[in-house]
Amino acid sequence: MFIRLVADSFGRRPRHKLLTGAALALGMAVATAALSVSLDVGDRLSREFRSLGANLIVSPTADSLPLEIGGVDYRPANAGAYLLEASIPKIKTVFWHNNIIAFAPTLDVLVHESTKSFQTSASADAKTTLIGTWSHHSVPLADGSAFATGIGQTNPWWRLDEGRWFSDTAAECIIGTKLQKRDGMKVGDELHVEGPNEKVSLKIVGVLTTGDSEDDAIVAPIQVAQQLVGRPGQYRQLYVSALTKPDDDFARRAPSQMSPDELERWSCSPYVSSIAYSIEGVLFADVRVVRRVADGEGRILTRVRTLLWLVTLAALLAAALAVGASSAASVIERRAEIGLMKALGAGSGTVGTLLAAEQLLLAIAGGAVGYAFGILLARIVGEKIFGLAPQPSLLVLAVIIGLAAAVTLAGSAIPLRRASRYEPAPILRGE
Amino acid sequence: MFWRIVRRLIAANRGRLVVILLALSAGATVTAALMNLQVDAKRRLTTEFRNFGANVVVAPRITILGEGPTMSESWLQQIPTSIEDRHVSVVASLYFLGGVSHPFSKDSQEVVVVGSSGTDCVAGSRLAERIHAKVQDELWVGYWASDHGQKQTCRLSAIESTGGPEDDRISIPLVSAQRLAGLLGRVSLIQISVPGTPAEIQNYISNLQNKLPDLDVHGIRQFTEAEGKIYERISGLLSATVVVVLVLTMLCVMAAMTNVAMERKNDVGLMKAIGGATRRVLRLFLAEAATLGLIAGIIGAAAGLALSVALGKAVFGVAAHPRLIVYPIVVALTIVVAVAGAYPLRRLAGIRPASVFRGEA
Repeated sequence: MFIRLVADSFGRRPRHKLLTGAALALGMAVATAALSVSLDVGDRLSREFRSLGANLIVSPTADSLPLEIGGVDYRPANAGAYLLEASIPKIKTVFWHNNIIAFAPTLDVLVHESTKSFQTSASADAKTTLIGTWSHHSVPLADGSAFATGIGQTNPWWRLDEGRWFSDTAAECIIGTKLQKRDGMKVGDELHVEGPNEKVSLKIVGVLTTGDSEDDAIVAPIQVAQQLVGRPGQYRQLYVSALTKPDDDFARRAPSQMSPDELERWSCSPYVSSIAYSIEGVLFADVRVVRRVADGEGRILTRVRTLLWLVTLAALLAAALAVGASSAASVIERRAEIGLMKALGAGSGTVGTLLAAEQLLLAIAGGAVGYAFGILLARIVGEKIFGLAPQPSLLVLAVIIGLAAAVTLAGSAIPLRRASRYEPAPILRGE
Repeated sequence: MFWRIVRRLIAANRGRLVVILLALSAGATVTAALMNLQVDAKRRLTTEFRNFGANVVVAPRITILGEGPTMSESWLQQIPTSIEDRHVSVVASLYFLGGVSHPFSKDSQEVVVVGSSGTDCVAGSRLAERIHAKVQDELWVGYWASDHGQKQTCRLSAIESTGGPEDDRISIPLVSAQRLAGLLGRVSLIQISVPGTPAEIQNYISNLQNKLPDLDVHGIRQFTEAEGKIYERISGLLSATVVVVLVLTMLCVMAAMTNVAMERKNDVGLMKAIGGATRRVLRLFLAEAATLGLIAGIIGAAAGLALSVALGKAVFGVAAHPRLIVYPIVVALTIVVAVAGAYPLRRLAGIRPASVFRGEA
């Protein structure tokens, strides 16, 4: 009987139910979109921040002080310590390996360079920095797959004006745009390079602009630089770009002063300092956090996240208000019906349960439809703003259905309370 | 007469209208707060970006390696120090290779010395560790090329750790550096920190390039590019939310208005029966909606501006500046939303007086 009454109510006034349901679905769609976007935005933005470049720098522990001015290191080639290129893949074995999205080693060497033969390039003061690095390197991982990385990923603002990146195994190089203008070299030219240990000839395959000191430099495969310095298989600095969680007071404490519990909690959060600590453990090198990048990023991320959560809350409130008002309206409409039911002997409780069941049914249906629409809306917004749609999450679905039910019930509660006090007679008379 | 009826309409349906008024004011509040915050948040963000450091550098055009090229300090006067009433910080520095040692100690550490506009002597953390220097230590700083000549003492006032090249350097006052290196009035690099949107920064750079044709002026792409991208994303998000909140408000009003329309059937039937034209009756209800929008807009916008001040304080730590231009915009928007939300009242036009009086419908 109860179910028949509910079904009958839907069957008899499909248009009315559709309208209320549509309002509910629309409100919930907006709520879903706001929720999914703000759940997703932290990850998206922190990925976006990686275009600022490496936030961790690995260098040898026993290194001498770099004497670097304007991108040129004035240390003699035999000074300072080096790290082994072969041990770099270990970086992908740390606990937070999935957060490490790119890394590239560099080895700088001061060279004489000329497009003509080696003899004529002997003017002693014209020295250029050659940066040895990876352009597209595939690092084998423990699980058998390969991880592709390179300097283009750690420093995304490095762009080629023309030509292409060098191949990591060929005798090729790319040159900085200022260097190219100064010396009038072209893509396709043969460049003769003389380092402290050896001489090599490289083919120019591209022109690089970075807006920084690399504009005056030559960039070549790291093997070439190793050969020029006479340090096969070694590098000097490793740039690491990692997705991190903004630092808080807890993150800044020294791990040596923590209790075991705290240490566990600390190393299980992707703070930049805990990632640095774990890399230090596998590479046995000095890992520095680039504070300027990491702190600025953390601060902006925290702010934007707070802002978005507040805004989502506002959107949820507005949606709740809209849905509540429309369900209130749908109850008021049915005063005559309620009067009739009471006249026929239904108690206030029965009437209330009946109407509440109808509203709940509507809420679940409207919430589900709204969720589907909301995911679509979030997709559009996400694609427009981040170029990537957020992942639909079941958590959001649960929250939305729950919210829809709570809001419709709350919206109907006041008119229902009033309805239970109605005297059937005046309503049936149409007063 | 017209307005008297409107007044009566509002007075007679108090309960329902309070709901509409509440919905409209809530919408107006959120919209005003977000709009105000959006302007302010963008500004704050660009200021926040400057934590990354300088984004524009000026360097001598010719790159001769070795000593490093220098340029005259007088160029500094050509650099504008404000952009739309925001402060642009300009730092000139002179770099040279030098040595640092404890007084009377034989072994001196080779190091990059930076002369910059500060008045203190600051060592990088890695350098300090290497030479076992502590804050308040007295140090000798010398010029590389003259082992016996120029030397200067300085008292270490701080040790900084940035994770960047500063960690390996020592920074002393510019004048001392110039004296040590024998380069009076010369600097090797000017770093400029320009706040503002990507477009404003680009503008500043091209402006400066015209002013200083003999020097190399360029933005540090690492920061300018990433900032541009992030800025775009965040401001897109904020704009999207403003639109969403407006749509929601409209929805809310629509729902409440449907409600009102139901209850007004009798009134409309009576008006029509005594000769009210459909147009006039509709105009009446639209006037009512607009009045509600106006009232809600005025209340909501004021509340919203207050809210945005509080929000700004919560999010950015600095109270948002209330922008008066937001006020009329929000009031106008609320009226538009209220009138658009009155769309369900359209159904009243189709009411036939006779059937209303018979108690049908």
